[in-house]
Amino acid sequence: MSTQVHANLTEAQVEQISDDLGEPEWLLETRKDALAALEELEMPDVIRTPGRTWTNLDALEYESLVDPLDYAQDKDRVDAEGVEVLSWSEALDEHEDLVEEHFGSTVDPQRDYLTALSTALFSAGTVVYVPEGVDAEDVKIRTTMNSQSLFNYTLVLAEESSSVTILERQQTGETTDADQYYSGIVEVVAEENAYVQYGALQNLSEETYNFQVKRGHADTYATVNWIDGNIGSRLTKSNVETRLLGDSSESQILGAFFGHEDQHFDIASRVWHEAEHTIADLVTRGVLDDDARSVYEGVQDVGREAWDTSSYQRENTLMLSDDSEADASPKLIINNHDTEASHSATVGQVDEEDMFYMTSRGVDPESAKNMLVEGFYVPVLEEVQVDELREDLDQLIYERLRE
Amino acid sequence: MSSDQDHLKETDTEKRFEFKKEEKSAFEAEKGLTEETIRVISEDKDEPEWMLERRLRALEQYKEMPMPDGWPGAPDLSEVDVDEIVPYIRPDIETRGGVDDWNDLPEEIQDTFDKLGIPEAEKNALSGVGAQYESEIVYQNMQERWEEKGVIFCDMDKAVQEHEDILKEYFMTKAVPPSDNKFAALHGAIWSGGSFVYVPEDTTVDMPVQAYFRMNSDGMGQFEHTLIIAEENSEVHYIEGCSAPKYSEFNLHSGGVEVFVKENAHVQYSTVQNWSKNTYNLNTKRAICEADGTMEWVSGSMGSKATMLYPSTVLKGPGATDNHITIAFAGEGQDIDTGAKVYHNAPETKSTIESKSISKDGGRTNYRGLVHIADGAEDSSTSVECDALMFDNESTSDTMPYMEIQESKVDVAHEATVGKIGDEDVFYLQSRGLDDDDAKQMIVAGFIEPITEELPIEYAVELNRLIELEMEGSLG
Repeated sequence: MSTQVHANLTEAQVEQISDDLGEPEWLLETRKDALAALEELEMPDVIRTPGRTWTNLDALEYESLVDPLDYAQDKDRVDAEGVEVLSWSEALDEHEDLVEEHFGSTVDPQRDYLTALSTALFSAGTVVYVPEGVDAEDVKIRTTMNSQSLFNYTLVLAEESSSVTILERQQTGETTDADQYYSGIVEVVAEENAYVQYGALQNLSEETYNFQVKRGHADTYATVNWIDGNIGSRLTKSNVETRLLGDSSESQILGAFFGHEDQHFDIASRVWHEAEHTIADLVTRGVLDDDARSVYEGVQDVGREAWDTSSYQRENTLMLSDDSEADASPKLIINNHDTEASHSATVGQVDEEDMFYMTSRGVDPESAKNMLVEGFYVPVLEEVQVDELREDLDQLIYERLRE
Repeated sequence: MSSDQDHLKETDTEKRFEFKKEEKSAFEAEKGLTEETIRVISEDKDEPEWMLERRLRALEQYKEMPMPDGWPGAPDLSEVDVDEIVPYIRPDIETRGGVDDWNDLPEEIQDTFDKLGIPEAEKNALSGVGAQYESEIVYQNMQERWEEKGVIFCDMDKAVQEHEDILKEYFMTKAVPPSDNKFAALHGAIWSGGSFVYVPEDTTVDMPVQAYFRMNSDGMGQFEHTLIIAEENSEVHYIEGCSAPKYSEFNLHSGGVEVFVKENAHVQYSTVQNWSKNTYNLNTKRAICEADGTMEWVSGSMGSKATMLYPSTVLKGPGATDNHITIAFAGEGQDIDTGAKVYHNAPETKSTIESKSISKDGGRTNYRGLVHIADGAEDSSTSVECDALMFDNESTSDTMPYMEIQESKVDVAHEATVGKIGDEDVFYLQSRGLDDDDAKQMIVAGFIEPITEELPIEYAVELNRLIELEMEGSLG
């Protein structure tokens, strides 16, 4: 299934990217292995029910999308005291051992076709290294894509008892009318008692196909929290995942999306409880207008050894148009009976009584609807601890409503 | 009941089958599935040509279709080998089409149904009873007052002969076509037995009708077909019960159920399934519900080694309603994969799904559901509620709902919870003098109450009794 892409990609290109970044041999080998594996690998899993595949990834024309050696981008990195925020070249110069130890430790470089493609071709990215005991302030990363395709790779290592908050913005610079492809992998390693919050706000142009895997491992007492805001792109396939590997580890996954026109969002939040007293909370809210479509999958997997688990999931979709479509599948997989777990999902439209109440108070219908949509996001926004990200997300929602 | 079970095991021996073959020339098809077998079955039933044609077409479809095991977490069906099962056993030539007096049944069959309490229930609570033994209905009776009103309750073979026009129109054409899935196709090829229920316009059958299916032979398949047609403004409650004793080989049950709920009609379909734990229970059940009609599915899935069962309803007319209440209980070695599927294809349609599951001693329960709201089905609403109770750490319980929403003016809610049996509840009951087992049984009885409330008292009692036996581990 992958031959049409592979024909366009060569080992020489991969070698050149690796050379540009001044990479050691082991990383080049990892890339080459991923490139070779493309022949065998399948597209990422999507929800399938009999007679229906809900996101058609095979429809992407990669050959025309991917230009491995053109990776124009702007990267702003604002670091904070005590934490090292490094480009790949810098990270490999200064902390090669740490990078080698953790690269590919949470996201399998050959997890699926698109991930392997990212492994082979990534040219942009950041390594965030938080040494033991450091309480870092906010780290900000802004990635602006100025080429037809961009492969971004972020590795976050939070050592024992450290903490950090990272804000990542993804946007498109010069937009062309041609289709674009953005691929982002984020790996988070939270060692014992570490706290990592990773907030991403994706506002890529609506000609962009967007594939993202964000995955964290939380050790004992560690916390990995995610915020995944999706506003832009034509098609997004986003996976946000945490493995709770240590006792008393925690994870929160907050999601918000707003689709309009013919945008398609395939959003997955997944958490694996693999140790005792672990806690997870998954909250996603999305709004769909025009012909937009969302596919949501939420998985709470409680393993056999995960005694005394608490796991909660809520997903709510608001539909503003008759032509929009929403699919939801919140899954519970429970192998330990000492569990408190629940999930819920709802789909609905703007409440008529609320509309009536507001219009009877003199608010015009359009403004009333906009206010109610903004209000719908409040339960997610409230949970966003980072002021700047919350304000940005709120602003993008505000702008979208008034387009 | 447990001594009854033992008794059944004792009576269902090879000896009895040998005896029947000698005395009554009962018909038993060859193992496996070939065109020849199907022709033989069809000929033995003296079927019209069109039915044979449909069977043969279904066989072709069966051969082409994949096994339905590609879904995440689907039960393992690798042991299901259709070549190893006997697809058709006619128990007794004399009972063809069903006798209408229990006393006319061969003693062994009488005895079996006595043990199951069917005649008793008939006297007390039912409008009519059909009883199937192996592949054929052996007893069929309908109270006269319903027959006078034009209500038909007969076995499917008789329906093919006597109500050919209706059958031709409805039989596996609109609700469950053989192309639906591999086991629907298998069913279409070798179906045998089952019930036909026809309720004329403006007729309310106010007592339930029941069919009871019993599988006795080792390594056999049972493929009964149920077709229910409730005309405009009519009402009927159909109850299906099933059981089979335990043998070493696997059994296959692959029934087909088609229900047609016409305008403003009301059909309730209740099942308490208690197949033996070597049975693969792979059914296809579907209702088509016209404007303002109501379909209600009430299912208790207790037995079987593996069950894949997702009763589904197509809400075709405006104002149609569908309610599902299901309870699954999986003990040791059992994989109960069940759920509900609803298509909202018209405005102002409503559905509710209430699913309860209990898993224990390594059993697995899974809720797998689909709610589809089509574009244009405005002002529709659905609510799905799944609760799982787990007894121990060997058991698993999964919830995999799917929702496809193509219409904005809708109200969709799904909720699922999982919990262990509350230590506090057990402690409380124990402190009131109940022992541990009784306390747990009482909690389970409370947990499943929404289901038992929907059943006539006899069946509620049976379901509770089955659960008690299951919890004691005394069911084979």
